[in-house]
Amino acid sequence: MSALSSVLLWATLFAPLALLAACFVARWRTTALALQWLAPVPGLCAGVLKLTNATSSMETSALGFTWKLDAPGALLLAVAALLWIVVSAAVWRDRAPDDRFGISWLLTMTGSLGVFVAGDLVAFYLFYALVSIPAYGLFALTDDPARRRAGAIYMAFAIFGETVLLLAFAALAAFEPHGSVAIHDVMAALPTSPWRDVTIGMLVAGFGMKLGMFPFNGWMPLNYSVASIPVAAVLSGAGVKAGVIGLIRFLPGGAPLEGAGIAIAVLGCVSAFLGVAVGLTQKNPKTILAYSSISQMGVICAALGLAMRDGAFASSNLAFYGLNHLLVKASLFLSVGAIIARREPLGGLSLVIVSALALSLAGLPFTGGALAKLSVKPYLDGVWASALTTASSIGSAWLMAHFLLRLKNTPDEYAGETPAAIITYWRAIALGAILLPWLFYPAVGDVSKALEPIELWSALWPVAVGAGLALAQRGFDNRIPRIPPGDSIVIYEIVFARVSALGPALENLDTRLRHWQVTGVSFVLITLALLSAAILG
Amino acid sequence: MMELAANTPAGSLLVLAILLPVVGILLAFALGGRSAERIALGLAPLSLALAVAIATAVARAGKPVTYMIGGLQPPLGISLRADGLSATMLVAVAVIMIAAMLYARAKFGVPEGSGESRSALTFWVMVQAVWGGLAMIVLSSDLFNLYVALEVLTFAAVPLVCIEGRPEALVAALRYLIFALFGSICYLLGVALFYGAYGTMDIILLSQQVEAKPVVWVAAALMTTGLLAKTALFPLHLWLPSAHSNAPAAASAVLSGLVVKGSFFLLLRLWFYVLPALQAEDVMRILGALGSVAILGGSALALMQARLKLLIAYSTVAQIGYLFLVFPLAAGAHEWSHIGWGAGVMQILAHAFAKAAMFMSAGLLAESLGHDQIARLNGAARALPLTFLTLAISSVSLVGLPPSGGFVAKWLMLQAAVASGQWIWSAPILIGGLMAAGYAYRILTPALRHGEALLKRPAQPRREAIALALALVALGLGFTPESFYDFIEIGRPLTMGPSP
Repeated sequence: MSALSSVLLWATLFAPLALLAACFVARWRTTALALQWLAPVPGLCAGVLKLTNATSSMETSALGFTWKLDAPGALLLAVAALLWIVVSAAVWRDRAPDDRFGISWLLTMTGSLGVFVAGDLVAFYLFYALVSIPAYGLFALTDDPARRRAGAIYMAFAIFGETVLLLAFAALAAFEPHGSVAIHDVMAALPTSPWRDVTIGMLVAGFGMKLGMFPFNGWMPLNYSVASIPVAAVLSGAGVKAGVIGLIRFLPGGAPLEGAGIAIAVLGCVSAFLGVAVGLTQKNPKTILAYSSISQMGVICAALGLAMRDGAFASSNLAFYGLNHLLVKASLFLSVGAIIARREPLGGLSLVIVSALALSLAGLPFTGGALAKLSVKPYLDGVWASALTTASSIGSAWLMAHFLLRLKNTPDEYAGETPAAIITYWRAIALGAILLPWLFYPAVGDVSKALEPIELWSALWPVAVGAGLALAQRGFDNRIPRIPPGDSIVIYEIVFARVSALGPALENLDTRLRHWQVTGVSFVLITLALLSAAILG
Repeated sequence: MMELAANTPAGSLLVLAILLPVVGILLAFALGGRSAERIALGLAPLSLALAVAIATAVARAGKPVTYMIGGLQPPLGISLRADGLSATMLVAVAVIMIAAMLYARAKFGVPEGSGESRSALTFWVMVQAVWGGLAMIVLSSDLFNLYVALEVLTFAAVPLVCIEGRPEALVAALRYLIFALFGSICYLLGVALFYGAYGTMDIILLSQQVEAKPVVWVAAALMTTGLLAKTALFPLHLWLPSAHSNAPAAASAVLSGLVVKGSFFLLLRLWFYVLPALQAEDVMRILGALGSVAILGGSALALMQARLKLLIAYSTVAQIGYLFLVFPLAAGAHEWSHIGWGAGVMQILAHAFAKAAMFMSAGLLAESLGHDQIARLNGAARALPLTFLTLAISSVSLVGLPPSGGFVAKWLMLQAAVASGQWIWSAPILIGGLMAAGYAYRILTPALRHGEALLKRPAQPRREAIALALALVALGLGFTPESFYDFIEIGRPLTMGPSP
């Protein structure tokens, strides 16, 4: 490994950590937070270096952890770093947000970059927690009830996801014969683990919570609809990809795993169509984008499940799909804010750009989305899979066209949330999101294949059908039942309220237990239990 | 295998470690309350140095350091013994004690020109007595000597609860006293039975002779329940919430962080050092089950509390529950028992530091805001940033998020649970973590929101820094090197199960 790559990998981690350390000194804090747009630069360089020089291995250790950058990690790291640079610079160029927000932002960024280079379980878990939990501070520290509700639900899913992953990781580590916690080693031991299927189930559930996979999808629409434009952009773009890299890293792809693979594919499929179906009933563009994320992450899971079934796991292809979503979804949120802030009717070039950007998610030819579809196509062959893929493309196109038609409904308040630089340059950013994937695609496949007429046609017609359906929907849109944003979350809230209602009863019980007489009885019972266990045991 | 060792070179350090606090107490009485503070603070660094020296000696030798009092071998004489676990505890006790003393100076200090006060003298004497009692508990190798240590600990801890003389504190202290005495009596009965059966009370001699017979089981059951009562294991926790929440903050930190670990340490001694040969797997399971109930019950009750100090006290009830998972997870001579043992020790340490830091922060918060109502914390983090940073860092450890000692403890516990096939224990571990996140959320999020918290008294950065330092230790435990887990195995008999 060259000295340069070693230094870059090291700096990827330590640049944000150094700024974080600087925040502890009151007089440096403002400067450190204002400079945080520079922190992802080493990550961007490391990612690009890895991609241009694919054979070099990038691995180092620091703080007792292993850090490693492979091709899928590099794809996501490079664009995530780019996104963080652009949005952070734009946000702090306007005015410095308060310290709580700034530090939450920096912590989330550190986690977001760190998950892509973590080489062992503990490091991954640490950065995964960082990208999940401090994000709460980016949108929920207010007295606004809607934000507080969204924040509490977000936190519940984040912590629950962490909990499930902790058990999964402990199971991974426990069955590694040599006591190693390197991801590479534990994954090599997973196929023979007695807990294999349970571990896979917990991993999917844990990362599924981050990805908004059914039935854990409810937090995402709530979160993105209350988060400010820049926050929604980085969380939907970079934040969620922690879940993608998690699935890529921790699902076994070496040998065919029929049962688990199909189960994951089905879950992904349900999410993909549920996202579209519920998204179509929504009016707020941010909420529609959230449901589109649920749908897109479902597509990744479906592709991943089918790849697992066949034992043909090409993590870079899946990462590329994530890369495209990262760029497009973040740019869409920024565009929503910029368009409303400009307060002018959408037309001409702007309309073309935002439409191309939105339909990129449905695989519109010549956009990055067409390449993304192409990159996962090998796993989606077979009659059922290709029919569902086509249906999913039509659905995505429908949802995104619905989004475009709903752009005029954007609440005015989003205008104030959008940084001035984003308002000025949103078209450049959107174009970048459409075109940048072409730069990265050579890392996973042949670009020219995307330009063959047959591919162009098979990419184009579902988009056209979907757009047509969206136009048709306008005729009966008022008669569609409105599903509340967060759909299934309502059920969870009812369950939670029921459980919380047990509280006073529990306190009563505690008061009784702490009576002398009751404690005396407990004392005797425990003694007898110990005694009988000892003698009979 | 444990053998009867003669005095090892560093053995006399063990006597000094116990004597130093005693000297401090005698000097304080002799020279009067005005100098009690100076004596305690002057001797504390020496005790810390002793603890470190003992730990170094144990690590160097790779085996326990022992000392025979009066040169007499057990069963005639009484021996002191420092193994990996006791040396670790000794250092942790010293660090937390020094922090608590420095923190307490603002309240119990006697500045120049003011008269001596009874509460100050009581505090400085009793806090040293707690220190001495704990040192005796971790270093004694004789069950009767341990009984004496246990009583010293109780009689030193009770006055700390009611030092301020408020009526509810007196009631709490009385409950604590009566219940602790009840526990001691049970323990003493068990010791007497052991002595009757084997004619010795030396841990090592007993461990070589015990066999599975009724008198041993009765003795063990009595001692165990007595110690459970002293450790306040749910549902025997009647005294803990009121005692820990009514004591002054410096005392709460010591009581919650260290004193309950004293009686727990005796349980470890009993089951892992005296009785390991008996392979009492069902007893281990019952202790684990009681611990699980404590985790769930304590956490759920912590979620309901309206006052911060009570919330933290109930959190202690839950965290004590985690300690008891060490019994099913570290018993026997399996590969996973090593992991389970490490998890248990890490849980002791992580909770000691995090909880001490939390109680200190809660005390500062109550002094500055004039209340500790969780519902009225809006905006408090802006007014008391360091205090809330400490609460946040301690919570990270309690919840079990990395990097922290609490994370390492849970991580190892889960691995031991999975590897030993006792996956059932992973449920309370994880659910407890979720509920801990819930109560941490209740404290931290309102404080971070907007709002103006009115300070009745300005923040006290120096005392805040002491609490923060302890919280940072809890965090730093997340980077514990591998060699530590070998160190805490020094002197632990691994005779359970088929010997490897």
